[in-house]
Amino acid sequence: MTPVQITIEDVAGAPAGKTVKLIRIIGQLDESNVDEQAKSIYQVIEAVPQGLSLVFDFTGLEYMNSKSIGYLTDWYSKVSASGGKVVIAAARDNILDILQVVGLTQLVNAYASLDEAKAVVLQ
Amino acid sequence: MLRSNFTEMDPTPQSHQLEETPQDAQAALGQPVVLPLDERPTEIMIQIPTQAYFLSGIRDFVVNLTKNMTGFSTQWAFRFQAVVDELCNNAIEHGSKPGEFIRITMISTKGKSLEVIVEDTGTGREKINAAQLTALYQERRQMMTQQYLGFRGRGLPKIVGEWTDEMVFEDVPSGGLRVKVKKYLRKEEDKVLSTQKNPSHLVV
Repeated sequence: MTPVQITIEDVAGAPAGKTVKLIRIIGQLDESNVDEQAKSIYQVIEAVPQGLSLVFDFTGLEYMNSKSIGYLTDWYSKVSASGGKVVIAAARDNILDILQVVGLTQLVNAYASLDEAKAVVLQ
Repeated sequence: MLRSNFTEMDPTPQSHQLEETPQDAQAALGQPVVLPLDERPTEIMIQIPTQAYFLSGIRDFVVNLTKNMTGFSTQWAFRFQAVVDELCNNAIEHGSKPGEFIRITMISTKGKSLEVIVEDTGTGREKINAAQLTALYQERRQMMTQQYLGFRGRGLPKIVGEWTDEMVFEDVPSGGLRVKVKKYLRKEEDKVLSTQKNPSHLVV
């Protein structure tokens, strides 16, 4: 499997009734690992059925394939349906480029910095 | 020497003759055209086992090759990385069974074009032929014209389709499928961060 590391932590300062999780992905998401890695994010979504928002820190994400983008779209659909937000922070140019070409940046907002992305979600 | 031979045989005006290249002269004389070394296409073929594990190395290779040998920008190097990855994933998922192989060929004509050919053995469980893939591609392109929230199906129409100029699907006589894509280097396009164009594709 291609090496990738996903860490999930709470973001402090969320308003009452809201939960914000920071999901940091370091490495490459591809066909060899994405199905396995996606499970941890589904667990978070299932554990917080209402008011969950997700901030994806893509600072260390080097590559994502179309299946990874499919997962991201699915997470967006599930979180949005339960009243939450999904945002992307600090994605590299090649990641933004691929998200743009598939049209995902029309759904999920991307911010240049993690602080900016967190601020939007905590509003 | 070649030019002078050409001049002797060519009846066109002198001004036109001066624009001809040595390769034109060779062709006019019926001789094999010999390109200068730096203008010859570079062709690299790689065969890998039918396992996604090997694609990480292929992606690194594609980025480095594109950056260093094709004339395309770094942005396009990463785009080709994704194009090759998506084509290989399809070949592994549909075309070649585990224990067999897929074959990747890259043909770079420096400063002009980059062609990628991915071929499977046609032994996969979900094997499809060129006609079926053409129909599937057209169907998915149509789906993608509106906001698409589906899980799968973006690779070929959006990533490969948007970032190449030509796409050809061919049945291989031995039973496999060959997908050929080609991108021409255009300086004005190469400078932009992201294209919002709607390319006209040659799909066979």
